[in-house]
Amino acid sequence: MSSNDHSALDEAIAEVAQAESLMGGSSAVVATTGPRRSPLTTVAWILPGTIWLLLFLIAPLVMIILVSLWERTPVGFAAFSFSLDAYGRIFETSVFLDTLKNTIFRSLLVTALCILIGYPIAFYLARCVKTIKFQIALFIVVLAPFWVAYVVRIIAWLPVLGRQGVINYFLVEVLGVVDEPISALFYSTFAITLALVQLYVLFMVTPIFFQLATLDEAAIEAARDLGATPGKVFREVIFPLSLPGVLIGCIFVFVLVMGEFATVRIIGGGTIQSVGTLVNDYYTIPDLPAAAAAATMLVAVMTVGVAILLRFSKIREVV
Amino acid sequence: MTYIWYLIALVLLVIPFSAMVFLPINKSKPVLLGFFLIFIVFMYGPMMTMGVLSFQGPFGSMTLPAKDLGSLHWFTELRAESSLMVGVRDGITKSLWVSLVVAAITAVLSLSLGMAFRRQFRGGGILFYAILLSLMTPGLLLSLGLSFLLYYIGFNKGEGMLGYVPIIGVQAVWALPFGFLVMMSVFNRYDARAEEAARDLGASSFTTFREVTLPLIWTGVFGAGLFGFTLALNEFERTFLISGAINTLPLKLYIITSSSVLRPYVYSLGVVTIIISFLLIALFLIVSAITGRKKALAIEEDGSGVDDLPSMTAAAASGD
Repeated sequence: MSSNDHSALDEAIAEVAQAESLMGGSSAVVATTGPRRSPLTTVAWILPGTIWLLLFLIAPLVMIILVSLWERTPVGFAAFSFSLDAYGRIFETSVFLDTLKNTIFRSLLVTALCILIGYPIAFYLARCVKTIKFQIALFIVVLAPFWVAYVVRIIAWLPVLGRQGVINYFLVEVLGVVDEPISALFYSTFAITLALVQLYVLFMVTPIFFQLATLDEAAIEAARDLGATPGKVFREVIFPLSLPGVLIGCIFVFVLVMGEFATVRIIGGGTIQSVGTLVNDYYTIPDLPAAAAAATMLVAVMTVGVAILLRFSKIREVV
Repeated sequence: MTYIWYLIALVLLVIPFSAMVFLPINKSKPVLLGFFLIFIVFMYGPMMTMGVLSFQGPFGSMTLPAKDLGSLHWFTELRAESSLMVGVRDGITKSLWVSLVVAAITAVLSLSLGMAFRRQFRGGGILFYAILLSLMTPGLLLSLGLSFLLYYIGFNKGEGMLGYVPIIGVQAVWALPFGFLVMMSVFNRYDARAEEAARDLGASSFTTFREVTLPLIWTGVFGAGLFGFTLALNEFERTFLISGAINTLPLKLYIITSSSVLRPYVYSLGVVTIIISFLLIALFLIVSAITGRKKALAIEEDGSGVDDLPSMTAAAASGD
């Protein structure tokens, strides 16, 4: 990895921090406001958090990769008995590969839809709402659903997409465009896509909003004074400057939808699979190494996806 | 057939997007306002429908049209003595206790990490990445990996008080980046002169921390804890494979939706959790408003002008 890649990654992480500020409320990354202190004090401050992260974040992720390389036993796995059988089992039939392809496609689709929806929303909040008070209020309204239990938000789609749900009610009774309620609305890939977009679009709105709210007004004014059309101002000034926010949003949505499990299970009703539901299926068999192998493949795809996104952003910067 | 839906959705989305791209702001504003309102309906509509359906009479169904609206039947049903409802209430109690502990741990860890990052230190970059990594790790993977770890060390999931340890562990990891970023924003706009003064007057670093630093940043710590509480209360995927017999409320809800015949009590239960979440947000905003006013007064006296927009937005969100 070249030093350029590192700086791109650093930038991206800084942007994550900024993006998350809507959920976390921060505006910058590293503060150096503290008084001088002994190394021992530093260690004391970082120790609890570091141990916690090692135990409950790093160790589990390492375990997934390790278990995928270990042999299966009737109830679990035999530690340090290396073999690649688990990968053999998941690639034995085409089920896993097909599901992986579908999951990647679904994640890309959801990410694209989140940009199409999230960008105008962020743009409206950041550039069309004038008073700061009103802006904060609207922003909180937009953000509030993030705090509602994820399972509850999925369940809330039942009365909307069901056979006698709101959408069918409108189509049949109010508009009269179809005679029969569409039963395929629920338990369909479309329903899953819709619910996923609703669940994750806030991860796109937030970073873009922060990017747009802190744009350099002088650059926009200058472009306008030089006679650029609104379309040109957007394409050549506003959009390029907001790109880091879009990038962070894409990373969030893509990665989280790739690992998605409950939405697909509840709304798909067991007929539609994602890598997440497959992992869970392997886990319940139980075939823990196969579950680990599937999860490792998932991590690999996510890493590649994020790397491509970062690479893409680098190219954009050069152009 | 589904492709038609995608096509309709795409056409609908292209209109606001192209308005934003090609029209000057004064012309695109009405279009974007309309789109914003549709977006709000999209975000809140399902929850609203669920809310309406939870107020049905005893013969209420899971879908529209609602029957005998205006009844609290399905809310009183939550207090029934059936084994299902006992389980649900048990789930609520467990969730609240777990969330409380997670809140305390998130507050402490965020505070200590926030203090650590006030100065640069070796390995700080890696630690920063690790904190943010937990935001980007899908919940199911975390749950899966931790369950492997528990299996490896021979830990009995969900047994006794010890069974709560992994649950609290992953939920705190999930809440940590949020709490940490709250603390970062607090220290970012923090005036270290008071600390220096205390030190010059001969206070030890511990006394300075307890008597000066902590009183100045407690709202931030409180905010971090509240983040922990809300996120833990609603956490599902990270807890899914490691909980054993301990069913927190979101787990219980998942089990109900995937295994039994659904009745509108699912909706009333959903409404209860939404109300709890929104009350917590309100509490959060009230605390930030109070401290925000204090700060505004201080700035007025100071004569140092008004903060810029992002930090004000951040302040509104962080409770600083």
